[in-house]
Amino acid sequence: MKFGNLLIAGITTGSIYAMFAVCVSVWYRVSNILNLAVGDFAMVGALGVDNLYRVKGLPLPVAILTTLVVVAVFAYLYDQVVLRIAQDGRRPIEGIVITFFFTFALSFFIDGVAKVLFGTDVHAAPTLWGGPALTLGSLNFERSGLLVLACAVIIGGAFWLYIRFTLGGKALEASGENSVGARIVGIDTRQYRRLIFIGTAVIAAVFGIVESPITGFTYLSGATISLTGFLAAAYGGFRKPGRALVAGLFIGVLEAMLGGYVSAEYGDTVLYAILAAAILAWPRALGFESAVSG
Amino acid sequence: MNQFLAASSRAFRWSSAVASSRAARRVPRGGMPSVIVLAAGAIIVLNYGLLYTGSVFVLSACYAIVTAGMAVQIGFSQQIAFSQSVFFGVGAYGVALLNTHAHMSVLLAGVVMVVAAALVALLLGSVVTRASGLALAVATLMLPLIAVGYVSGTDLLGGPVGLPLNGTLWPASGSTTLIALGGGLIVVVVLAAVVFIATRILSSDIGLELFVLGVDERTAAALGVRTPRRKLELFVLGCVCAALGGVVYVGTQQFVPETVVDPTTELALLIMLFIGGRRSPIGAVIGALVIQYLQGASNWVSVNILIVEGVLLTVVLLVDPEGISGIVATGIAWLRRKSGAARVSAALGPAELTGAELTGAELTGAELTGAELTGEGQPAAAAGTVREAPDAIAGLPLSSVLPDSTLAGTAGGARDATLLEVRGVFKEYGGLSVLHDVSLALPGRGLFALCGPNGAGKSTLLNVIGGSVAPSSGEVVFAGSDITRRPPHERFYLGISRTFQAVHLIKGRTVLDNVAVACLASHTASIVTRIGRSQLDAARAKAARTLADLGMAHLADREVSSLTLEMQRMVELARALAPGPRLLLLDEPASGLSEEQRQRLAALLVTLAERTCVLLVEHDLALVAQVSERIFVLSGGHLVFDGGPADFRSSPVVNSLLVGS
Repeated sequence: MKFGNLLIAGITTGSIYAMFAVCVSVWYRVSNILNLAVGDFAMVGALGVDNLYRVKGLPLPVAILTTLVVVAVFAYLYDQVVLRIAQDGRRPIEGIVITFFFTFALSFFIDGVAKVLFGTDVHAAPTLWGGPALTLGSLNFERSGLLVLACAVIIGGAFWLYIRFTLGGKALEASGENSVGARIVGIDTRQYRRLIFIGTAVIAAVFGIVESPITGFTYLSGATISLTGFLAAAYGGFRKPGRALVAGLFIGVLEAMLGGYVSAEYGDTVLYAILAAAILAWPRALGFESAVSG
Repeated sequence: MNQFLAASSRAFRWSSAVASSRAARRVPRGGMPSVIVLAAGAIIVLNYGLLYTGSVFVLSACYAIVTAGMAVQIGFSQQIAFSQSVFFGVGAYGVALLNTHAHMSVLLAGVVMVVAAALVALLLGSVVTRASGLALAVATLMLPLIAVGYVSGTDLLGGPVGLPLNGTLWPASGSTTLIALGGGLIVVVVLAAVVFIATRILSSDIGLELFVLGVDERTAAALGVRTPRRKLELFVLGCVCAALGGVVYVGTQQFVPETVVDPTTELALLIMLFIGGRRSPIGAVIGALVIQYLQGASNWVSVNILIVEGVLLTVVLLVDPEGISGIVATGIAWLRRKSGAARVSAALGPAELTGAELTGAELTGAELTGAELTGEGQPAAAAGTVREAPDAIAGLPLSSVLPDSTLAGTAGGARDATLLEVRGVFKEYGGLSVLHDVSLALPGRGLFALCGPNGAGKSTLLNVIGGSVAPSSGEVVFAGSDITRRPPHERFYLGISRTFQAVHLIKGRTVLDNVAVACLASHTASIVTRIGRSQLDAARAKAARTLADLGMAHLADREVSSLTLEMQRMVELARALAPGPRLLLLDEPASGLSEEQRQRLAALLVTLAERTCVLLVEHDLALVAQVSERIFVLSGGHLVFDGGPADFRSSPVVNSLLVGS
């Protein structure tokens, strides 16, 4: 049952990609900024819990809660200090490229701080649901993988319900479509920019915590995670969280299949080549043009 | 002193403002930055070449060669392609292999590799530059990801260990001192040459094309910029600079680590570019120096380099999105103003200063008179309106608004011969039919209008004629030749000019440059030829004539976003008129204008129509019936009316469609 197990592995990694892609695209929709620091929040979540639990000896729930609060407070401060000066001032800084570099700088800063706090070794948050893999016939389900999937379904579902059915979700959508128009009808677009930034930072940290037992993190792992999230978000046209989710799952499954059937060594290379070719062949269908004009 | 300041201010900013042309005559265009780089670099290499400072400088100069190219490609023209680290690797690995296995000297291998990189970039670029904006960025982001997988698995390239090199950049044998200093000097010379070329390109007429391309690719195409070619040239330029950087890197460092092709190298280069100043080649050099010195510092800065870079990038971008070079340029401009003001007051005394101010006041007075002249109908207009009015075409006898000079390129269209013919055009988006079997023909001159309710397909039809939308079926024939498959820029050369429903001016440039874009003669030239000479001044002169003809000469040096909507529309009209078009497509030129402004516009259009063919999309039925000799009405993609203004007023179809609603 090679195919089945590859599929399970692919869906597990794919759901991680998908969640980061959703984080990137939801915030892009609200703020028109691509968040390249989303993976760094995940890294801080994982290494922070590890540090507080293993090194400082705090109980696990306290360690998790503390880490998430620190991430939220940091995201709040960043929005209040940097994004406020950059976007709400007399001379707002616009353009996707230049704003991109703010989150890029943020990513560097977080990595640098993490290096000081957590060192350079590979660590991971403790496994929340330990034990041997569950088997169903010839299919193997790693418990950590199932936990990631469960988190993806719960958090992703809650997020979707929020955007789809609440007034806040509608307002959020309006902020991204036309921030001036949204402000005119009384929506505080800055508030949503802040809310979603903090929210996605915390969600990223949660995923860092549940994912790290599978892969292990160093202070530099954030960039790779951001990259996969960014790529999957790109294939969702950056503005469509639903498509970003599908794209993330698809990339995860494709990666597992290429690794299993084509070449373990060059699987990723083939994957990237396929992804590049897809953009060049169907830029419009993949939503790139709307992302640029919007 | 003042001229030096002016020149250095220009060196730090890409800007080539008209005002600075006086100083430009002394220093050859693009000379100043490269002379600074050459002199400062040589001094540093000769004095510190054997010390740690010198070696860090040479390393940063290697990166600066790459970032200077990125300033043209990524910063100035906004064509974001993540191909630099890969081509840096191509240069470095290629030289190492040729030197080790084929025993080629480093210099010769370098030349071979740069040529090879240019060819590869040409092939790769002709595929990837079909994509625009984010698609281009994401597609090329795969390049370093693929390259890293390849390099780490390839023994020939040393895999994760890296590849050493025995040869040196300095071709002759000699003492270690000579080899180190000579190699360093070669790097400095290459860097100065790259900065020279980059600055020359940015300040040339193609530089203006590239700027428009960076702001809006579609507008650029409608103004005659051959966007596919320019994008490919930029890609190749960026790749060649990257390969050059890789060549001198391996020649001076004698080692290629696997990380050169890594995405992190790409990010490091981008950080250098954005900290230094994304649009300025010399800023890119400064950025490379700053980052390399910070990384090379042997104290807490280099230990916590990530924190330092993160904070530095954030702070610099918050202060000025144009980076350090932007900050320096602002500082120099401030100094210049200060020293200039001091000099003027010292030389002329306070009385003269008042005189100068008086002239300013007189100018305003003259404008006011102009306003009063045209504003006859509305003496009660608010002060604001009176102030704005002269900025348009006020104060001019409209019948003489366009003397021969403006339309000199056009010999005046023929009254009876068909200029444009649209034959059975259909356009579908998905399953939605936007244009259904639309046919119309226009003669060489006259004023024609296209009306219809919202969503009738008016703008789509205009886009089909202008070339930015391809019809699903049908033909567009212009001056006897089928142009259905011709791209927008070629239609522009044939004499089709257009304005847009929403004003598409180029922010950050003066009115003069906005009009000059349409007067460029550089479209068929390649970027390389523009290093030698530029015809930007000729284009600006032609633009200035058009502005003068329209009574807008006093606006020439204003930045376009500081203008009112009417003035912006007038600038767009001037831009469409400047090349002397045979067919002028105007998409709702009157929207957002006041009644008085509309009347001025109408008078101008009538004058224009005496010489050329004008097709106007307009909602204002009174205006349409007043000025146009023939009117087309679209509804739901069908052409439902085609006739003169008298029939238009009495037509039941028109009344039910347009007046009733």
